Amino acid sequence: MRSRDLMSGAGKTARRSLLALAVGATVFGAGIANAAEKINIAALTFVSSSPLFIAKEKGYFDDEGLDAEITFFRSAQPVAVAIASGDADFGVTAFTGGFFNLAGKGALKVIGAQLHEDAAYDGSAILASNKAFDAGLTSVDKLGGHSFALSQVGSSFHYMMGNVAEKAGVDLASMELKPLQSVPNMIGALKSGQVDSMIIVPHIAKPLANAGAAHIIGWVKDYVPYQVGGLFTSARNVEERRDVVEKFVRAYQKGVADYRAGLLATDADGKLVKSDTTDEILEIVHKYVYADQPADKAYAKIRNGAMFITEEAKLDVQDVKAQVKWYQDRGYVSADANPDEFIDTSFIAPLGE
Amino acid sequence: MSHEGAKQMAQTPDTNSEPVRFRATGFNPKSNPVAAWGSFILVIALWQLGSSTGFISELAMPSPIAVAKALWQLIISGDLWLHLGASLQRLVGGWIMGTVAGLVVGFLVGMFTWARSPGVALVSALFPIPKIALLPLFIIWFGIGEPSKFATIAFGVFFPTVINTFGGVDNVQRNLIRMGQSFDLPMWSVIRKIILPGALPTILSGFRISSSIAIILLIAAEMIGAQYGIGALILAAGNLYQTDQLIAGVVVLSLMGLCVSWLLGRLDRWLLGWR
Amino acid sequence: MRLQIQNVSHSYDQVEALRDIEFGIEPGEVVALIGPSGCGKSTLLSIIGGMLKPTSGAVVMCDQAKPEGCLNPLTYVFQDFALLPWRTVAGNISLVLEDHPLSKSERDERIAEVLAQTNLSDFANAYPKQLSGGMKQRVGIARALAVRPAVLLMDEPLSALDAQTRILLLDEFSDLFARTGMTAVYVTHNLNEAVRLAHKVVALRRRPGTIKEIHTIDVPINERREGMPELIAHEQALWNLIRDEAIAADKELENVA
Repeated sequence: MRSRDLMSGAGKTARRSLLALAVGATVFGAGIANAAEKINIAALTFVSSSPLFIAKEKGYFDDEGLDAEITFFRSAQPVAVAIASGDADFGVTAFTGGFFNLAGKGALKVIGAQLHEDAAYDGSAILASNKAFDAGLTSVDKLGGHSFALSQVGSSFHYMMGNVAEKAGVDLASMELKPLQSVPNMIGALKSGQVDSMIIVPHIAKPLANAGAAHIIGWVKDYVPYQVGGLFTSARNVEERRDVVEKFVRAYQKGVADYRAGLLATDADGKLVKSDTTDEILEIVHKYVYADQPADKAYAKIRNGAMFITEEAKLDVQDVKAQVKWYQDRGYVSADANPDEFIDTSFIAPLGE
Repeated sequence: MSHEGAKQMAQTPDTNSEPVRFRATGFNPKSNPVAAWGSFILVIALWQLGSSTGFISELAMPSPIAVAKALWQLIISGDLWLHLGASLQRLVGGWIMGTVAGLVVGFLVGMFTWARSPGVALVSALFPIPKIALLPLFIIWFGIGEPSKFATIAFGVFFPTVINTFGGVDNVQRNLIRMGQSFDLPMWSVIRKIILPGALPTILSGFRISSSIAIILLIAAEMIGAQYGIGALILAAGNLYQTDQLIAGVVVLSLMGLCVSWLLGRLDRWLLGWR
Repeated sequence: MRLQIQNVSHSYDQVEALRDIEFGIEPGEVVALIGPSGCGKSTLLSIIGGMLKPTSGAVVMCDQAKPEGCLNPLTYVFQDFALLPWRTVAGNISLVLEDHPLSKSERDERIAEVLAQTNLSDFANAYPKQLSGGMKQRVGIARALAVRPAVLLMDEPLSALDAQTRILLLDEFSDLFARTGMTAVYVTHNLNEAVRLAHKVVALRRRPGTIKEIHTIDVPINERREGMPELIAHEQALWNLIRDEAIAADKELENVA
């Protein structure tokens, strides 16, 4: 699956290069200046990529003179690989050990933020299987000795559990980690009671708990400040096409602002409410996310999955550094990966500054 | 022509005479262990040279030294033995299950009319299925624990073993079986003393294939729910882009393959000494 | 033991191989079956030993008189030896004894005895591939003798061997029959073998295989010598009997036969 994604990406690049050549020749011949700069964005069909969809649909990229094309991938890691290899220019995905290893090799620069766990908004939930819950796994501090489903070793699920365990006083080493490769496998294993626990995004956790298929025993936001993912580009783009990166960042930030206004509006009590733009934003996001489902169903899922994004997509640099250190301490990220080198805050100021 | 005359001719060759040219050259490859090891060393040396000079980027391929370091780290941390132990258990268990089942079915298909056509049809239909595609089913049937891992390997080993076994049984000379029957040997004796040893050379060469398949399937088997295992190690290293560990794991798999091949060679010599 | 072949006929699919074969094999008698290729003599031998079911008719054992310690009354000696390559000479003989209630020492005794009879004692631990064709057939004989058969069924036992070995083994067979008074059915296409070994020669005709004549040779086997005028006369008579059939067989395309 992964290689196919990369392959199609490579094919596209080749085609794009040809096209660029042809366009270049035309431009040269006709002497037209200021042709739109072509950029390729790697994304997942997840709510977390929404600012990109909003910027594209509302013409923010066009306003900046960018001709943006979005290429879709099935999982997070190929997005990073596509950017490291030059097949795509920009991407947003979750941070993982693999991502940090790739970034540590110097090909990637993190320039902004994706999702962030915030105490005021629902983020990822900690679930216990019915079987384990009935046997007494009713709170996070009792997780010791239980099995835990994750997609892969060194994934964000692994990190979240590690950090939750640390804060909750649970010995992670006593837990049996079960890498199951995919989220559907994790859900299946939890529902059937083959694993005792997992951590999962809210729009999956809530329906599971509502359907009585599992129990929510805690929320990640209660344990950690957590920068879930980031916005990143290739090191070469930062060096050679700085103006393009700046234009992209402006458009992305406009998308983030619309996302926050449409999906993160709260009332005085901190309760999530509908704003003037909610429907407009939902309509845009629905073109990309749950596109195969009717609007009434999809909208609820999108709202459930709309996690917090910081204002102006500011990156929680301190937390990213803490994550890198956590992975490094456990040997999942090589010791020479240096966050100071692969985080570039010259486009967007870091969170809290 | 007199004897003298013949001697004369031998002593004074005609100017047109020439020795018969030797023509049966080539088409007779011989093994050369020095060249075998030499090729390994040459490839590794070139690879290291490419890495040291920066011709091969660290992102594309870790250097042999980095791989050796990763391997050494695995050894001194003791993780390698944990991984190896878990994998060997699955390999041996899965292979034995698949092989025993394959031998039984292979013998039935090889010997009995009632089993022949249905057996051949089913095996031909199921053999080409990539076992990894059935992994989700195995997880539903056998859970995410050890049984699904054994099943993946056993399933992969089963089909080639069936095909090999009935091929081997087919190849047992009919006259030997008739001989056994003419001496009124009971059926079990015919199977045990004539068919089994007669099919053994084919079955043993099939073991080489099935053991390689078992090692190949180890990765698939350890995709789901394996905390330890060489396959799990390689998968995790791949996901983490720790390419040095990934190659180190591949090296371990390859060494495992060599060990199995050596063991089978010994088994061959022990069981087929009569050849 | 007396064997009676009663009205045996056999067809392979559409081809009629044997028709109405009827003769008896008396105790202590060596019967040679001769005839051109395709006359069904090997088919008949398979039927006699119960390795092939005749289309009609039967082979009947008329009494239960068997040698002492007989384990397999009707025992074959094969043209291609049929030795297990993974067993030694002793192992190949042991094979046919293992499924009988014999003690280990009884078994070893029998093996040693038949090896001595066939001059194979020094080769007990050799594998078949180490042996010449003649030696392999001696193992075949030893294996057959080990079960102390009532009737020995020999299917062209010398035709896979070279001429010199054939002469040597022919003498040994002759000795064996003279010494033991073994009952045997001996299939051959070699008339010289037939006149050296048989008391009674059954000449078959082809298409379908029927008995052309049963020829009796009354010279005692131990008195028969190579080149004896009497034997030459018998051989000539047999040749006259099957000559035309042999010529016809020779002209026929292989796959039609």
